[in-house]
Amino acid sequence: MPQPSNQTARRGAVGAKVGLRAKMGAVIAHHRHTLEDSLIRLLRDPFQTLMTTVVVAIALSLPATLLLVVDNVRQFENNFDSFSQITVYVNNTASQQQVAVIQEKIQSFSEVNSLVYVDPKQALNEFTEASGFGSALEYLDDNPLPPVFIIEPAIDVLSLPQKAQKLIAKMVNIDLVDDAQIDMLWLQRLKSLTELGKKVVLALGGALGLGVLVIIGNSIRLAIHSRREEIIVVKLVGGTDAYVRRPFLYFGMLQGLFGALVAGIMLTIGFWWLGGSVENISQLYGSHFMLRGPGFQGFFALLGTGFLLGLAGAWLAVGKHLNHIKPR
Amino acid sequence: MIHFDNVSKRYPGGYEALSGVNLHLDAGELAFLTGHSGAGKSTLLKLLMLLERPTSGALLINGKNVSRLSNFRIPSYRRQLGVVFQDHQLLMDRTVFDNVALPLQVAGFSRKETGRRVRAALDSVGLLSKEKQSPLALSGGEQQRVGIARAVVHKPRILLADEPTGNLDPELSAEIMNLFQRFQDVGVTVLIATHDIDLIHRLNHRIVRLDQGSVAEGGGAYAPAF
Repeated sequence: MPQPSNQTARRGAVGAKVGLRAKMGAVIAHHRHTLEDSLIRLLRDPFQTLMTTVVVAIALSLPATLLLVVDNVRQFENNFDSFSQITVYVNNTASQQQVAVIQEKIQSFSEVNSLVYVDPKQALNEFTEASGFGSALEYLDDNPLPPVFIIEPAIDVLSLPQKAQKLIAKMVNIDLVDDAQIDMLWLQRLKSLTELGKKVVLALGGALGLGVLVIIGNSIRLAIHSRREEIIVVKLVGGTDAYVRRPFLYFGMLQGLFGALVAGIMLTIGFWWLGGSVENISQLYGSHFMLRGPGFQGFFALLGTGFLLGLAGAWLAVGKHLNHIKPR
Repeated sequence: MIHFDNVSKRYPGGYEALSGVNLHLDAGELAFLTGHSGAGKSTLLKLLMLLERPTSGALLINGKNVSRLSNFRIPSYRRQLGVVFQDHQLLMDRTVFDNVALPLQVAGFSRKETGRRVRAALDSVGLLSKEKQSPLALSGGEQQRVGIARAVVHKPRILLADEPTGNLDPELSAEIMNLFQRFQDVGVTVLIATHDIDLIHRLNHRIVRLDQGSVAEGGGAYAPAF
């Protein structure tokens, strides 16, 4: 029986061990190498990569668009918070004195904070200037605009629809008052619509996020399948599960990131393109409303979402499919 | 170094590939494993690689029972082994160098150390000049030598080979066997499963013959060092 050389046997044992610091360095190097390798693999199969990227981009941009729309509507609502007021229309036939009486009466209500009187003449002048219908309005014999009180009610009135309705009823009951309208009503409707919109975004976002998971999971499944041989060899030479998993996680992460990047660019360009028209329209209506795109924060939030979804999709796929590949 | 103590392996379905195998190899020993197809050679090697677990009995490697090793520890166990496959299991989409470097990469060696060791391993099988080529460009014998370089690059204590000369002509086969003897000379324990009876009878090494899942000859007595 050949005599084993203790010395060489020991050297062999040492040969298989690596110091912790060197190991950390190698792990970092492997991460970097894997990232490069995953990028190269994605670029080497441009068609598949493009398909996945576009599908992910669409799945991400749909809920993101809706979210931005909801966000813009809320911004629009906030613009109108100062309009939380009640408009009281007085009959055209009322004389100056009668209007003064009405004003006194309204001011006596405890629910009224303050009030502004808009004289019909003054209103017509303003309208003529603002609308540009000046010459056409000259043809009118009478001023068609009624005397108007713009009332700012106490805050608790606006927050409670029943109280607001009561106040309106009280004012309509005053002699020579034709109508009283709360300008918040449509705003409240809009608010409840945006609440609904938010829920729709959440549901749709969830569904499409799940879709992204499946898409990326599937592309990882294909990648695992095409690298089956490599996985087996790596396992045979003592590669840990983490080592085997790593390239696929990077692969998924990159695909999610690419999809999010494309979605972000699409959204930014789209909202920029629409922004011009919206600004024109809002200027016509004398509003300062401006369409808000995703912005830096939104863009990076989108990238983060894509990144995480890609990672999660890859993780799920790797967990499911990698265990099936065992060296035989 | 390698010790099978009454090891049996029964596959699901009832087929018993190994029954009551007793086999002992000292550190630095070289042995051939022979027997008909289906005698259990592959199963025995699979048990050593922990690709399969024994149904009963103990498998001691370097005095440690590995048959109940947790899955988590399998990778680090496999890094102590070098394995040469009949179909050499080379990755054709990367260079000879990268193939040989794989065991070092998974073990976390630095790039510099990896380069040094890979070149040393390739030099020892006489293929240093081919490091940048694809394995596809090499002959069958050269491919097998790349497989051997990969098996020894991390200086394993145990080298296993499954029909390493299966597809090679006699001259190349003898060359490959010479290589294995050289690794034995530096203290590696070598176990080679082979059909090549003519060749191994010309070499002066222990021959373990399996028959129907049992060791028919050459098992070697286990002498615990009390």
